[in-house]
Amino acid sequence: MEKQKNVHNKIVCTDIGKTFIQKGTQQVHVLEKISLEVHDNEFLVILGPGQCGKSTLLRIIAGLETPTEGQAFLDGKLITGPGPDRGLVFQSYMLFAWRTVMGNVEMGPKLNGLPKKECREIAKHYIDLVGLQGFEKHYPHQLSGGMKQRVGIARAYANKPQVMLLDEPFGQLDAQTRLFMEKETERIWQTEKRTVVFVTNNIDEALILGDRIATMTGKLPGKMGPVYKVDFERPREPTDMEFLKLRHQITEASELVL
Amino acid sequence: MDTQSVANEVIKSTREKQAFSIIALIRNEYFLYLVSSAAFVLLWHWVAKEQILGKSLATPYDVVKELGRLMTIKLAGKNLFGHAWASTQRILIGFSLAAVVAIPLGLFMALNRTVNAIVKPVFDLFKPMPPIAWISIAILWFGIGEPSKVFIIVIGTFVPCLLNSYNGIRLIEPELYDVIRSLGGNRRHEILQVSFPAAFPAIFAGLQISLSIAWTCVLAAELVSARSGLGWIIVQGMKLTKPELVIGGMLIIALVAWLTTLLVSGLERVLCPWKRHIEGL
Ligand SMILES: Nc1ncnc2c1ncn2[C@@H]1O[C@H](COP(=O)(O)OP(=O)(O)O)[C@@H](O)[C@H]1O
Ligand SMILES: [Mg+2]
Repeated sequence: MEKQKNVHNKIVCTDIGKTFIQKGTQQVHVLEKISLEVHDNEFLVILGPGQCGKSTLLRIIAGLETPTEGQAFLDGKLITGPGPDRGLVFQSYMLFAWRTVMGNVEMGPKLNGLPKKECREIAKHYIDLVGLQGFEKHYPHQLSGGMKQRVGIARAYANKPQVMLLDEPFGQLDAQTRLFMEKETERIWQTEKRTVVFVTNNIDEALILGDRIATMTGKLPGKMGPVYKVDFERPREPTDMEFLKLRHQITEASELVL
Repeated sequence: MDTQSVANEVIKSTREKQAFSIIALIRNEYFLYLVSSAAFVLLWHWVAKEQILGKSLATPYDVVKELGRLMTIKLAGKNLFGHAWASTQRILIGFSLAAVVAIPLGLFMALNRTVNAIVKPVFDLFKPMPPIAWISIAILWFGIGEPSKVFIIVIGTFVPCLLNSYNGIRLIEPELYDVIRSLGGNRRHEILQVSFPAAFPAIFAGLQISLSIAWTCVLAAELVSARSGLGWIIVQGMKLTKPELVIGGMLIIALVAWLTTLLVSGLERVLCPWKRHIEGL
């Protein structure tokens, strides 16, 4: 029964716990009993306050950290390390400063041994998709924050991952650029559907983007809170009645300071 | 219509007038460069002429005249260019030798614990020793010829070259490696695609520091014992009590050292086109 359930679930986390052992013997208990299911082609938002272990959970799914308890599965297979089937987008962009936009975006296909011409074509496609045509030869320091994150998204997409993992990707942007980038993310996702796990501490961002919103509780160790289904129409506006109703419901139930 | 065009004209001419006003002139940085340089030379001239600091300061004119003389006559078989080249050649040889060994060594130390554990204790012993402290032993070992000067430069530039390439790798954001791994890369890709290119700017910073240390080293070595080079010229000026020769030598040193710095930053511009360059000092 459990096995069958895993089939249409892209990602399954079962009772994940994580304790970091810092220098010496100091232990930091970051995650406790995290269970989570992400459906195929679903846009799942993990919403929680700062320092509650969101990044750690995402890094476990990415295979960059190993959980101390529980397991994470991708397509029913245990996640043991990072891989090109999961694309990562970071809050601090993490672009290769020494490579142009084109060089950054074609890195994934290149590392996977695709012929040069094909790398170019794939990269070009995703540069266009994120709306950066004409900036192929620019270096990251010549771009604005929003444009940098477009490169980060294109770089992850260009590797054709089955799952996109985004860790507070717009946390460093001003409010206006942020809203615009959220719309762009929605457009990109609807053009090329992927399973998305999107981490944020911003409830409006969660409501605009998510098919479902999984909340996490504050204070370490982070635990899973209620999961909300967002079933009203896209594109959503923060002034919609349903938007405000669900927003109110989530804030009432969680200790998010908003 | 007419009044309008007249009005425009008036506005235009006041704007033009403003561009030539005294305030705009004072705020113009090139004008300020000029004024400040001229004031310095005049002050120097006045101090030298009135012998405010005694007789051992030559006027700017005397210095220029002396430099002109040195370009045509030969001191110890070389004219001014010959001596400048003698010093520069020592620097380029010592500097290249040190860089070729120290930069890869620093990179390997940062990337590999075993290499680090083997090299670090020896390096830590030599690190705090000022390069000038090696001059006497260098002369004992290599005599007063070229090898002892090159040796001092190698010793002096080795430390900053190694430290900077080491730190260049150590200070890389670890998440950059996560990017490579999640894109499907392995350890080799991490080193080739992240470690090396990300360390480049730090390596160049090390080269710039090394260069100024190299000039200090070569001058110190030439002051102690030499038959050519800009340091030797200064010593001649001191022995003959010719301040114009000493000051002329100093100016040429500044000029040549600045040119070698330009060489390294030019190289950096070519090799690191991604780096944002800050103009200024
Ligand atoms: N590698 C690590 N070693 C030790 N502690 C860590 C490590 N990574 C994260 N932590 C701890 O886990 C806590 C939660 O971190 P994080 O997952 O980044 O939370 P969030 O992304 O929700 O802000 C932090 O307070 C931090 O101290
Ligand atoms: Mg985080």
